[in-house]
Amino acid sequence: MESYLLTIITILPLVGVLALIIIGRGAPPNENNLKWTALIFSLATFVISIVMLIGFKPAGGLQFDTNKEWISAFQLGVRYHLAVDGLSLWLVLLTTFIVPVALIASWHSIHSRLREYLVCILALETGMIGVFVAQDMFLFYLFWEVMLVPMYLLIGVWGGERRIYAAIKFVIYTVVGSLLMLAGIIALYYMHGGATGNFTFDIAAITKDLGAGVFVLTEEQQRWLFWAFALAFLIKVPLFPFHTWLPDAHVEAPTAGSVILAGVLLKMGTYGLMRFNLPMFPKASHAYAALICTLAVIGIIYGALVAMVQPDMKKLVAYSSVSHLGFVVLGIFSFTEQGMQGALYQMLNHGVSTGALFILVGMVYDRRHTRMIAEYGGLANVMPVYSALFLVVTLSSIALPLLNGFVGEFLILVGTFTSQQLPYAKAFASFASLGMILSAVYMLWMYQRVIYGEVNNEENKRLTDINGRERLVLAPLIMLIFVMGIYPTYFLARSSHAINVIKNFVNPTSFAKTQDNHQVAQTADRSGQEEKPGK
Amino acid sequence: MEKLGISYQAILPETILSLVAIAIMMIDAFARRIERKVAGAISLIGLLAAGAALLSLWGKNGETSYSGMIVTDDFRLFFGLIFILVAILILLISLRWVEDEKLPKGEYFALLLFATTGMLLMSAANDLVMIFLGLEITSIATYVLCGYRRNDLRSNESAVKYFILGSYSTAFLLYGIAMLYGASYRATATPVATTNLTLLKERIATGQIYSYEMLFAGAALMLVGFGFKIAAAPFHVWSPDVYEGAPTPITALLSTGSKASAFAAFARVFVLTFALAPVAMNSSGVPGNFQTTITNVLIVMAILTMTIGNFVAMVQTNIKRMLAYSSIAHAGYALVGLAAGDWSSVAFYMLGYVVINIGAFAIIEVIARRGDKRTEISDYAGIGFKSLGLATALSLFLLSLAGIPLTAGFMSKLLVFKSAWAAGANNKFFYYLVVIGVINSAVSWYYYLRVIVAMFFSDSTVEFKAPIISRSLATGLIIAILGTLYLGILPGNILNALERARDRIAMKK
Repeated sequence: MESYLLTIITILPLVGVLALIIIGRGAPPNENNLKWTALIFSLATFVISIVMLIGFKPAGGLQFDTNKEWISAFQLGVRYHLAVDGLSLWLVLLTTFIVPVALIASWHSIHSRLREYLVCILALETGMIGVFVAQDMFLFYLFWEVMLVPMYLLIGVWGGERRIYAAIKFVIYTVVGSLLMLAGIIALYYMHGGATGNFTFDIAAITKDLGAGVFVLTEEQQRWLFWAFALAFLIKVPLFPFHTWLPDAHVEAPTAGSVILAGVLLKMGTYGLMRFNLPMFPKASHAYAALICTLAVIGIIYGALVAMVQPDMKKLVAYSSVSHLGFVVLGIFSFTEQGMQGALYQMLNHGVSTGALFILVGMVYDRRHTRMIAEYGGLANVMPVYSALFLVVTLSSIALPLLNGFVGEFLILVGTFTSQQLPYAKAFASFASLGMILSAVYMLWMYQRVIYGEVNNEENKRLTDINGRERLVLAPLIMLIFVMGIYPTYFLARSSHAINVIKNFVNPTSFAKTQDNHQVAQTADRSGQEEKPGK
Repeated sequence: MEKLGISYQAILPETILSLVAIAIMMIDAFARRIERKVAGAISLIGLLAAGAALLSLWGKNGETSYSGMIVTDDFRLFFGLIFILVAILILLISLRWVEDEKLPKGEYFALLLFATTGMLLMSAANDLVMIFLGLEITSIATYVLCGYRRNDLRSNESAVKYFILGSYSTAFLLYGIAMLYGASYRATATPVATTNLTLLKERIATGQIYSYEMLFAGAALMLVGFGFKIAAAPFHVWSPDVYEGAPTPITALLSTGSKASAFAAFARVFVLTFALAPVAMNSSGVPGNFQTTITNVLIVMAILTMTIGNFVAMVQTNIKRMLAYSSIAHAGYALVGLAAGDWSSVAFYMLGYVVINIGAFAIIEVIARRGDKRTEISDYAGIGFKSLGLATALSLFLLSLAGIPLTAGFMSKLLVFKSAWAAGANNKFFYYLVVIGVINSAVSWYYYLRVIVAMFFSDSTVEFKAPIISRSLATGLIIAILGTLYLGILPGNILNALERARDRIAMKK
């Protein structure tokens, strides 16, 4: 069944871009008109993605399929194939949710070149949604790369003092990874086409043929391909030691940029790992799981330790992202259902909580134009509502039970601890728990220094508490923090099918099956049967 | 093969262009003063007529004429149309420029058309002598064009450098042709020796070669000659100076038309004649693995060209010079396709590159103002929001050169890397070539982004007024923008045509 829902969700922000260009032609353009246009388009996208959520069948695989031929010459077999499964679904929703929030959060903070700013944000939204819904490697790569441009401009034009350095660093890091991925995509496409005669970039088709043993990669090939893809994703995550671009980019980006960067962009890396590396290269995934998990655990602890000593709030939150994303990677490479479910859940949590943290930092920054912790203190006295909301987000970030962070980190730790496939699983889980404790230290310590105590700084005495617009921004985030903490079943039930599919592909038991199937395939070939062995 | 085969239709495009060029010169000489618009319009009509004449040759699958000197096949048509496109775009972006620079108009258009004639001949040639002829016609016209701004020292330097090194490299090419002629000697065959590519191909494929040493030497010398013309490392050193000094529209012509025509001849000789196909090498016992050796040399050349081009481009401060090095790098990418023995990917690469690069140079021309004064990257500081349209278009072209998806630059890179990967089945070096190519693309992002950084992220340091864009230049720019996007988003039709062309030529053997 063809469905245009995903096309609409993907394209709608782009239509918003066109609308902005048309509206912005008159000089000087009315700022409010521009802002409202952008907001309306992003909200409409969000509403339509809610329609998608309602229509989503938890037990179904890829849904809302659109599959059209695009380029067929030279055996290219590129298709315009969009679909969502439980994995993509939530990330699409996260994207469409975060963008309007980011827009409202930066309602008054951007004055120069507002139209171009909004154009960048909406173009970015299309790119991000596209990455999550593309089911064709070519299309995936296309969105992955095109999305770089608006993010680059957001950091470079509207960023802080060292914005040029940060913007270039961000692009070069990403491009190095993604071009290697391109080589991997071409290689995989050729090997698959050569083995099956079906030259296609279709992710699901290739994964299925790999799982069914119709298309077999040698272990060496798996290793090469694994790294070609994994490097691109691990840089994006970013996993220690590829993380150095992140603090720069975060600190220099404007608030909305940071929110989107932390909220959605980083998840493209972990999403890619789950979409490509695990199901396609199970043997290599297992072979390198210990290495990657070691790096993840180092990232968790290192990120937390570095966050602890940051004098700059935004930098602190940025380093906490390195730590949190380490948990996600750990969960993915635990190869257990709990671990991977937890990883997905933690991606969403991180989007919500860290997004909220960046917004909170942005709010005081808008008032005082500094992010230094030392400049603040005693904000509870002058900004009580702000302080209360800050507390909720802080607690969510350090995974207090009944708040969202707890569910994700708990699932990840349980999954890792009980993992049969991951070597040294218990050690990894234990060290990761240490990271949880550290996260409580740096978050609460920052909270204490900023919010509690006496107001020592004269300038802080005149600070006003957050206004209606700011409450409006934080309200849905705070609500989600609670909802996701109290009723995770709603979310997990919809992702569990997709996660199980990935688990079955990457699970060692499927190796035996793969080999059996391979033999079946060979026998089938010998006896001249045409039908492919079913799973 | 001995029949004379005179066919006026087969050389109609070249004839039209030469006649129009001569006519413009005559009018200019006798009518004292020719209006730029008149000359431009006549040239444009001539180019369109030549394009139509080329299209009328459609479907003549490999027919040869003039004793096998000229061949009419899809290869010729495809490259021929690229050259016509180049000439039209250059004409559009320089129509106003000639007037503003107060340069002699008549000769300018005539020389442009002569250069195009030479290019067309190069793609139509089926004989080494014919290739040489086409190459010389193009070269002489472009030598003059490089020095066209007579009172400008840089322009003079550019012309002299180009002329001396160009003649030097042509000598190599000629020497190579002589060697190949000797290598094809066979006492019992008629003719005893040949420069005809069809015959040469037969003799190489069947091993009827007088001396393999001579064959190697001939191929190597021709490699030097072509390597110079496409500005491949290590024969690239002339190009930055020449590109920087030549008037901007001429730089655009050199980096697109001249390069593409050299690639056409290069592919005609090395891919179609020496049969550098990734498969079916050596089926009839050619000793010494001629094809494999040449392929490996080309691989090394491609790696050197890409790497030198990209890394040196990173430190340039002049945008024309930077694009010169970028042009070297792009020759390297196209060489990847050539080494893989897939001329169709090279043709698509050239098509994409031509469209993007002329677009970029058109904007540089506008921003440089009279006398090419503002060509430093620092001159671009802060112009992004003052001249949003131009800056956005230039960003599009630069990003496309870097290879961002949805533009021509990405599709063409994908195609050459794909061909190279396919060739990897027979020659493992191609896998490394692809990886090195990909890393090179990543490096190239850095210097393309530097211009965007200057335009959008920096504050302006110099006074800048949004330039006035003439209607003809705007038309050229729009064609370039649409072409860049069309080739990136909907390349299906052109790719299908190219695939059919490749298969037809491969079938013909």
